[in-house]
Amino acid sequence: MEKYNTFRQEENMLIHTRILDAPRDLVWEVWTTPEHIKEWWGPNGFSLTTKSMNVEPGKIWDFIMHGMGRDWDSKIEYVEVKKTSLLFYKHSGVQGEDYNFTVSILFEEVEGKTLLTMKSVFKSKAIIEELNRKVNAIEGGKQTLNRLENYIKILESKNHKKQ
Amino acid sequence: MTQTRDIFQAIADPTRRQIIGMLAQKTLNVNAIAKEFDITRQAVSLHVQFLNDCGLIVIKKQGRERYCEAKLAKLNEVTDWIDQYRKHWDNKFDSLENYLAKIQKKEK
Repeated sequence: MEKYNTFRQEENMLIHTRILDAPRDLVWEVWTTPEHIKEWWGPNGFSLTTKSMNVEPGKIWDFIMHGMGRDWDSKIEYVEVKKTSLLFYKHSGVQGEDYNFTVSILFEEVEGKTLLTMKSVFKSKAIIEELNRKVNAIEGGKQTLNRLENYIKILESKNHKKQ
Repeated sequence: MTQTRDIFQAIADPTRRQIIGMLAQKTLNVNAIAKEFDITRQAVSLHVQFLNDCGLIVIKKQGRERYCEAKLAKLNEVTDWIDQYRKHWDNKFDSLENYLAKIQKKEK
């Protein structure tokens, strides 16, 4: 089967699709059990501890990601759950309600494989644009710090040579 | 040491972002830009110079006036949040794919 990885933006939605070479039941299990999800979720190089996971509407997955020298508390609230076919959850961040977004993951069986369609829905298109701008600002900050760090290194090496 | 100015520094500042937004709609002179802000004309002029230095705008002299025109193609250098989000999930799906391959091998 051809590769079927896509990504696109539609208004206030970001949509990913991916075909996985595994039966749907297994893919579902890997998304909804703590032992499995810790093996692949979260940024590369991070580990994950699940405090509790209740995959039912109105219940939560409470977890901590460990990485970059600190712990990152995270919570996901399940809104709708249709076993093996649909997961719909809410991300609540610390930045306030405007930045919350929902994610729906559709699991479909295609010739023994599983087609995932992941839709991340934001409050508005403007929020996505604002997030873009904020990240840009952060990137700017990082670059400034990197530059400062490099500059200090150069100064230090010059001083060493003088001594 | 000469300070190099780049696009990330340019858009890290809210006043400069606002100036870019204004110029994206139409070319304006420095006075017209300054009218929109509570800060001094000199301060606005410095921001404009900054944007000019990193190539986000060009300043064209017409008589005594300096007109500022946006050069937005430069903005493409910026990696945005959507791109990071896409990369993050592409990555996660790769991990998921590998993990699924691993556990299915074991089962067989």
